[in-house]
Amino acid sequence: MNFELINPQSFKELFLVLKKLKHRKYRYAAGCTDILIELKRNPEDDLTLVNLSQINDFKFRGISQTKNSVRLGAGVTANDIVRNLNIKLLYPVLWEAAYNLASTQIRQVATIGGNICTASPSGDITCALVSLDATCVIIGVHGKREIRIRDFFEGPRQTALKKGELLYEIIIPGNKKNTVKLFSSFIKIGTRRSMECSVVSIAYHIQIDGFNKILTSGFAIGAVAPTIRFTAKACDFINRKNINALTERDAESFALKVSEYSDPISDIRATRWYREKVLFNLSKSIIEDIIKCQIEVK
Amino acid sequence: MKNSDTGSFIVNFNLNGKDVKAEISASTLLLDLIRNTFNMKGTKPGCNEGECGACTVLINDVPVNSCLYLAANINGKTVTTIEGLSCNDGSLSAVQDSLVKNGAVQCGFCTSGMALCIKALMFEYENLVNSKLTGKKPKLTENDVKKWLEGNLCRCTGYVNIIKSALELINNVERKSG
Amino acid sequence: MNTDTKIIGTPVPKHDAGIRVTGKAVYGHDIVLPGMLHGAILRTKYPSATFTIDVSEAKKLPGVACVITADDIDTNNISFKRDHPVIKAGEVNCIRDEIAAVAAETKEIALTALSLIKVKYKKRKGVFDPFEALKPSAPKINKFSIGNFKNKNIAGEFHYEHGNLEKQKKRSKIILTRRFSLPRMTHACMATSNITAAYSQSDGKLLLYSSTQVPFLYQRDMAHALKMNPSDIRIIQPVIGGGFGSKLDMYPFEPICALLSIKTGKPVQILYSREEEFIASPTRQPMIIDLTAGIDSKGNFTFREVNVIKDNGAYTSWGATTPFVIMQAFSSLYKIPACYFHATAVYTNNVFAGSFRGYGNPQATFALERMIDMLADEIGMGKDEIRLINANEQGEITGQGLHYQTCGHRQCLESVIKSSKTKIRTTSNERYKKGIGFASMLHVGGGAKIYRSDGCGSIVKIDPYGFCTIITGANEIGQGSETVLAMIAAEELGIALNKIKVINSDTDIKPWDVGVHASRTSFVAGNSLLGAIKKLKNKLNAKARQLMNEPSADFIYESGYLFSNQTRSKIAIDKVVREMQFTEPNELAIAFYFYEPLSEFQDKEFKGNVSGTYAFASQSIEVEVDTYTGNVRVLNVHVAQDVGKVLNPLLLEGQIHGGVLQGLGYAICEELLMNSGMILNSNFHNYKIPTASDIPEIHFTPIETNDRHGPYGAKGVGEAPLIPTAAAITNAVCNALGIELLELPITPERVLRAINGKQTSRTKKNLTVRNGK
Repeated sequence: MNFELINPQSFKELFLVLKKLKHRKYRYAAGCTDILIELKRNPEDDLTLVNLSQINDFKFRGISQTKNSVRLGAGVTANDIVRNLNIKLLYPVLWEAAYNLASTQIRQVATIGGNICTASPSGDITCALVSLDATCVIIGVHGKREIRIRDFFEGPRQTALKKGELLYEIIIPGNKKNTVKLFSSFIKIGTRRSMECSVVSIAYHIQIDGFNKILTSGFAIGAVAPTIRFTAKACDFINRKNINALTERDAESFALKVSEYSDPISDIRATRWYREKVLFNLSKSIIEDIIKCQIEVK
Repeated sequence: MKNSDTGSFIVNFNLNGKDVKAEISASTLLLDLIRNTFNMKGTKPGCNEGECGACTVLINDVPVNSCLYLAANINGKTVTTIEGLSCNDGSLSAVQDSLVKNGAVQCGFCTSGMALCIKALMFEYENLVNSKLTGKKPKLTENDVKKWLEGNLCRCTGYVNIIKSALELINNVERKSG
Repeated sequence: MNTDTKIIGTPVPKHDAGIRVTGKAVYGHDIVLPGMLHGAILRTKYPSATFTIDVSEAKKLPGVACVITADDIDTNNISFKRDHPVIKAGEVNCIRDEIAAVAAETKEIALTALSLIKVKYKKRKGVFDPFEALKPSAPKINKFSIGNFKNKNIAGEFHYEHGNLEKQKKRSKIILTRRFSLPRMTHACMATSNITAAYSQSDGKLLLYSSTQVPFLYQRDMAHALKMNPSDIRIIQPVIGGGFGSKLDMYPFEPICALLSIKTGKPVQILYSREEEFIASPTRQPMIIDLTAGIDSKGNFTFREVNVIKDNGAYTSWGATTPFVIMQAFSSLYKIPACYFHATAVYTNNVFAGSFRGYGNPQATFALERMIDMLADEIGMGKDEIRLINANEQGEITGQGLHYQTCGHRQCLESVIKSSKTKIRTTSNERYKKGIGFASMLHVGGGAKIYRSDGCGSIVKIDPYGFCTIITGANEIGQGSETVLAMIAAEELGIALNKIKVINSDTDIKPWDVGVHASRTSFVAGNSLLGAIKKLKNKLNAKARQLMNEPSADFIYESGYLFSNQTRSKIAIDKVVREMQFTEPNELAIAFYFYEPLSEFQDKEFKGNVSGTYAFASQSIEVEVDTYTGNVRVLNVHVAQDVGKVLNPLLLEGQIHGGVLQGLGYAICEELLMNSGMILNSNFHNYKIPTASDIPEIHFTPIETNDRHGPYGAKGVGEAPLIPTAAAITNAVCNALGIELLELPITPERVLRAINGKQTSRTKKNLTVRNGK
C-alpha cells in the first residue's frame, strides 16, 4: 500500500488541491474503512488520496434541522446518526440502518458520504436514504448542484459525481405535517446478526395520518440489483390507501411489485433464487405487520 | 503537521497520557505506528481489515480499529492502548480486573481490544447517565453489551464471560456513582 | 486421594491472565530479535500445474538477503505420511503450495521481492472431488504417497467391525440409509500462524519460537525435514493465540523459516496475513458419510453400517487419523450390537485438512445423532425416550473394547431432557417456528494412545523461600493448563497460588510430553504432577519427621506449613527445604515423574481400551427459525457433561462456552468455500465466525462421576462441548420445520431451500426400509 496523501483543512484548500490534481489519479478518503481495505488488497500505482477527514466545516460534519428537512453533512459518521435522538424519532429507518452498520468501531469513523459514494449495492445507510427520497448536494470546482439520491447511482461502484466534484450534504425531506404514525424500519438479512454485509436489505418509511390513511411511503431495496433501488410502483400501490383496508392479498401484490425492481446476482453469499425469495417474503411481511396493527386498532 | 520534502509527516498526539511526536509516511497506519515506532506490542494485529477488533484502541475515548486508521489523522488527538489502561502504579484497572476474575481471558489475543471496547462502553454509559437530566438511570442490558462488542471477535471464550465482566463492571460503576 | 479439597473445585482465575489483560504477553507476532529478517512465501497461482521459476530479479532487489526455491534446499518430505515436500519442485498440487521463499530486511521488501519472481505455469485440470479421484481414469495426485491400497489416490484406509451385521439387519424393524455431507471449517485462531527462527552458524544450533501444540513431536519432525539432529533444535513456545488442533502438525512455512535463517545466519520471522491464514492453514476434514442404521420394534439400536469418504486434499496430515475417533463414535456411542465401519481418505487437489477440536467426532456425531432422530420419527418414539433406552452404562465394555469404568451418559441425557422440558416444545405461528433437538457425544477423557507414548513428564521443586516451581511437559494454549497445575500444587503442598510458577515452554528444559491434544492435559499432566508431588512429599516428610522428632508422623500440608497428624505441631515448608538443602546429606527439594496412562494400543482391528477414561456429554438446544428467510436463531443450549470432577468451575465453564459457540459456527455459518481448488472466502468478512450478538443462553450442568484414574476424579473436557452442538442444532431445526437436513452448515439459504422442498444436490442416496413384523 503506497499513496500520496493530501490533507486539506478547508474547502477552499480542497478546491485548490483538486485543480492541481486535474490530470492525476486521485480518490477521496474520509473514514477510510473501505478504501484502506481495498488498497491493501489491490494497491494502485501513482494514487493520491485526498483526505476529507481534516476539513473543518460545520455543515460538512453536522446534522441540522430546518422547517421542511433535515440536513446531514457528508462527513457525518454513522455514530453521529446513532447518537441523534431526533433522527431516531423522525426517521427510524435511517437510525436503524446506521445502528446496524458493520461494528461499533467502524461506526465511529465511517461517514455517510463514504457509504453513499462507495455506491455498493448493499450500502445500508444509503438504502435508508433512498427510501427517504433524500437529495444529494454536490459541490465542485464548477459550483453546486443537487440530485435525487435515487438517481445518484449509475451502477455498482459508479456514481453521478464528475471529476472535481464531491458530495457535500444530504437533504432528507421532513415528514408530512399530518403524519401521526410511522412504519419505518430497516431490515437486513445476512448469516450472522452482526458484522454483516446484507444479502438482502429493505428500507421503508411509511407515513400515516390520524385516519389510518397512508400519506406517503418510501421503499428501497439493497443487494438485489446492481444499484439500490427505489420501488416506486410498490409505493404507489399503497399510497393513499387506508391501512384498515389492506388485505393479505394486497401484501402479495405489493411484494410482487417490489420484486419487479430486483435483478440479483448469485455470489458466495447467496444465490439469485435466495435473494428473490427473501425479498418477496420480507416485502410481504411488512404489509402483514401493518395488517397485524390494524387488528390491534380494531 | 507539516508536509516536508521527503513526503513524510510529523504528528503530535497524546499516547497513554504522554505527549508524543512521530514522523510517519502517508500510508502509515495507526496500528503500525503504535507497534513499530512506539514499540507497544499490546495492540494486536488480528486481521488488518477491520473485521476482528483485536487492534482496537481508543481515540478521544471512542473505540477505533487502528488497522484502518491513517496515522496522519491522529494529530492533536488522544490515544489509549492496552498499555495505558492499567492504573498508574501498574496494578490492574477495573476493566482488566473484571476480565480476569470472570474467566474472560483464554488465549488472550482478543483481550486488549475487548478491554478497550469495554472501557469505551463505560465512557459511553457515563455520558448517557450525565445527559439524562431527570428520571431513572438508563439500564445497561446484556443485549446492549453484545451489540457494543459485535466488532470484537473471540474464538476461545464464546463471549459469555466477557459480556458478564462488562455488565458486572458497569453495574458497579452505577452503584458507585449513585 | 484427598476428597476434601480446598483449592481444587474453586473458581481460581487464570494463573497467566495478568500478562494477557495488560498487553504484556509476548506472542509470536511480538518477538523482535537483533538483526531479524522478515520472511515471505510465494504460493502457487493454480491448484494443479507444472511450472518453471526464475528468481533472479528478486535476488537483485536491495534489502533482500536470501531467496530459495526447491533447487536451493536439501530437505526430507514432511507430514504424517512424509508425502509433502517443503518447497515444491516443478509441480504444484494445491493452492497452498509453496514454490519460493524470501528473507529481507523488511516485510515490504520481502513482499516486493515475491512480486519480482517470474513463474511460468502450465495448468492442469486438477481433481477436486474425491469420487472423481477414485476413478481409474484419474491421474495420480501425490507421487510421494506410499501404502498398499487398491487405488492410487487413496491416502489411508480404516476398517473396523464388531457383531453380526446380517443378524442385526434381520432383527431390525426399521432400516434407514442417509448420506451426510460435512464442510471444511477452519480454526480461525485470533493470532495468525507465526514462527521466528534463529540459527547459530557457530554451533549449528537452531532455536525456534513456534506456536506448536506438540513441541517434542515437532522437534523430531523439524529435524527429519532439515536432516538435523533433533537435540540441536530448541523449541520455545511464545504465548499462543489460539490452537484448537491447528498446531498439531508442522507445516512447510516452519522449516522454510528455519532454512532462511540457516542460509542467512540471521534470525528470520514469518507472520501470516489473515488471508494467508485462511488459505494456508488446515481445516476440519470435509466428509461424505453414508450411514445405514437400524432399530428394533422396542426402540433398541441394532446396527450401524458406515462408509466414510474423506477429502484428504493434496497431502496427508495428522488429521488423516481422525477415523480412530470417528469409528469410536459409531461403534460405541449408545449401545450398538453390530457395527461395520470403513473410511477412506482420498487425495484431491484441494487444500489439505488437519486436526481440529473434536478430531472427526463432530462429523460422526452429526451423522449418527441426526439418524437417531429420523429413526425415532419412523418408529414413532420420543427423541428423548429413544436416547435413554440406548444410553451407555457404567461398566460397559463396548464392541470396540472401550471400558467405561465410569459413565455419565444417562445422567447427562436426563439432565438436559429435564432442563428443556420446562420450556415450550414445538410452537408455531405463521412465520417463526421453534424446535428442540438433542444430541450426545462420547470422547476420550484420559488421553488417547495413538503415539508410542501418551505420557507426560513433570518436575516439581521448592526453593529455600518456600516458592514452588512446576516444570511440566504440557503447555498452555489458552485453555488453562498452567492454572490447573498450579492449583494441584497449591492443593497438595499447601503453598499459596501466588508462590507457584509454571515453566512449560522450552524443550531444552521441560520433560517430554506428547502434546496438547485429545483433551488430555488436565488428566495426563495432572496425574504426572501428582506423581512428582508424591515423590517430593516423601522427601519432605522424611526430613520433617527428623526435624520434629516424630518418627512415625504423617503430615498435612497447609498454609505454608507441614502439620503433624499426631501432635498437630507444625513446621514451615521453607524451613524443611532449607534444612534439607543446607545440612547433611544436603539434598534438593526436587522430584520428577513420568506418567503414562493405563490405556492400551488398539490392535490391528482397532480394538482396545485406548484411553484412560471416557467423557460423555449431552446437549439439548432450542432454536427459532424464521421461515421467511431461513435464519436460525439458537435460543437456549443446555449442556450436561460428564467431567469426572470439576477442578475449576470458572475455567471449565470457559471451555463449555467456547466449545458450544464453535459448534454453533460449524452448524450455522462456517464453511471455507472452494471452487475448483480455489478458496473463495479468505477473510473474516466472508468466512463468518459467530460474533457476540450471535450467542445463545448456555446453561451448563457438570456431571461428576469421579473417575478413579483421573486427578481428583477428573476427565478431559476440552473438545466435548463442541462435538454434539451442530447435531443438536440441526435436530432442533428439523424438529421445528418437519424437514430433513443432512448437510452442514445449515445456512439460511439451505434452510429456506428445504422449506421450499428443494433438496440440495450432494445428499442423495436416501432409503427407508420397513421390515414386516
